[in-house]
Amino acid sequence: MDLKEIRKKIDHVDSKILRLLNNRMELVLMAKRFKSEIEDSKREKELFDRIRRNSTGLINAQFIEKIYVEIIKESKELQRKDYQLIAFQGEHGAYGEVAAREWNSNLMPMPCSEFSDVFEWVKSGLYDYGIVPVENTLGGVVGQVNQLLINSDLHVVGAVELSIHHCLLALQGTDHREIRTVYSHPQALAQCRYFLSRNKLEPVSFYDTSGAAKMLSEKGPKESAAIASKLSARLYELEIIKEDIEDLDRNMTRFLVLSKEENREEGNKCSIIFSTEHKAGTLFSVLEVFARANINLTRIESMPNEPGNYSFFLDFIGSNKDEKVVKALEQVKEITSNFKLMGCYKERKVV
Amino acid sequence: MNALRLTSLNSDDNRQTVITVDNVKIGEDFVVIAGPCSVESEEQTIKTAQKVKEAGANMLRGGAFKPRTSPYDFQGLGLKGLKILEKAKKETGLPVVTEVTDPRDVSWVCEYADVLQIGTRNMQNFSLLKEVGKVNKPALLKRGMYSTLKEWLNCAEYILAEGNPNVILCERGIRTFETYTRNTLDLSIVPSVKEVSHLPVIVDPSHGTGRLSVIEPMSLAAMAAGADGIMVEVHHNPCEALCDKDQAMPPGMFAVLMKKLWVLRSCMDEINQINGNKTLE
Repeated sequence: MDLKEIRKKIDHVDSKILRLLNNRMELVLMAKRFKSEIEDSKREKELFDRIRRNSTGLINAQFIEKIYVEIIKESKELQRKDYQLIAFQGEHGAYGEVAAREWNSNLMPMPCSEFSDVFEWVKSGLYDYGIVPVENTLGGVVGQVNQLLINSDLHVVGAVELSIHHCLLALQGTDHREIRTVYSHPQALAQCRYFLSRNKLEPVSFYDTSGAAKMLSEKGPKESAAIASKLSARLYELEIIKEDIEDLDRNMTRFLVLSKEENREEGNKCSIIFSTEHKAGTLFSVLEVFARANINLTRIESMPNEPGNYSFFLDFIGSNKDEKVVKALEQVKEITSNFKLMGCYKERKVV
Repeated sequence: MNALRLTSLNSDDNRQTVITVDNVKIGEDFVVIAGPCSVESEEQTIKTAQKVKEAGANMLRGGAFKPRTSPYDFQGLGLKGLKILEKAKKETGLPVVTEVTDPRDVSWVCEYADVLQIGTRNMQNFSLLKEVGKVNKPALLKRGMYSTLKEWLNCAEYILAEGNPNVILCERGIRTFETYTRNTLDLSIVPSVKEVSHLPVIVDPSHGTGRLSVIEPMSLAAMAAGADGIMVEVHHNPCEALCDKDQAMPPGMFAVLMKKLWVLRSCMDEINQINGNKTLE
């Protein structure tokens, strides 16, 4: 081992420390949701006792105490700032986070491992917003999310249509010619199939795109790369070997932003859910209402509740403050069951 | 030239190969490929690309992998250079020609560039030729500095035989006893290629002469000889060039060359009318 190699290892440890510190600060923001006061001297005392006890090796108690004094100071500072939190599914760097940052860059994106966690924890008030993908131009409907939407009483307060651009990422200094294996979410691998085969790269499924980037940066498997977002490259200090490696350029994912509160700003798009009676022409009569009111539908999707019984998702252009829309929705409510206006909101398109 | 099954001209129809790259038709239009010898930095490459585009060049050249005479000379930026070329294309719209030196790089260079150049020193690198024969990007095959026409066409044959029909030949000067110029630009090869092969042939007067002062007359001569284009080294600031600075043309001089080429072009059209040559049948 020489100085260069040792320094590389030090850089690696520093990146890990930074990510862990960030993770700690995120937990601090979450903890705030359960505290009425920022100051908690009992908890602080416990913390200092514990780190003093656990300081080992080259870390002496005085040194670690100094560091933690600063950490605690900054934690309180962050809690005072009262950040609004938006939950997304996946590790940091996931496309959900990219969409969240596009929707509102002032919100703090918080990672969740499951879609159901996003729904549950927005409902419980741990997070102010959640952002979830509902459909992708190549992959189709995200079934799990749509199922959760049916059973949730969260409101849709925004939408983002995001162009998905995949990058091939590798550890800094990797010789591109030595890459053999590429880790990513199966859907991302499928979207880059021709790129992979052109360059004789072997795809390996991983639970998440950004998770693959994180694994690459932490474990550094030999001759490997990951497919993930440009944001992941920055967060995990990976080198972008190639940008825009998706086989088709019309790769868009539509995300909905959810909240416990209704959207108070003027919207231009509405989403509703309803079921119809099992009778001839019931769905037609719903569509007829919109046709007669000259309302433009942008999406219609069905999800089975049980065989033969469906929930329908319907999106259309218009505001729920508009007389024409109000009337149409009243009519639809009468002829359907389980009717729900999920929300009226503004949609953003990000190319 | 019996063994040249795929590169020979078919005397029945005299069909010429035309290679389309974006909106450039090589083998039909007179194509001017210009740019720095090597990609040195983003600023240098993009500045030069903008200058040659303004002057009317059709494609951008620039080396990311540089096979140099001395192992201690600048070897090129590699992958970083390819990324810069891709960016230069985004900024100017000029398709990119760049050299590939290693069979393992072929698929990767295809991800960034529009035409793969095989350099004079690699003309007979058969494993590289075979690899380039397997991809769907055109190849620009430079003539080996000691090679005969037959040897050169045999190398093109290797690429065609693997399934890639799009090969552009490029004369870049051969070794003779003359030392005043770096190489001796063999313009007689241009009409000779046209007699025996359907492949387009262009001329590189920068490497062919290695002297800035003779690049312009030799470019005009290349057009007069019937070449399908030229490839010229241009650097936005030749004094700073890391590679081949004596033959790098400043943008102003290149713009003058372009003007003269267009004058000669209409003149050549008239001359070709008199000949009643292959275009009039």
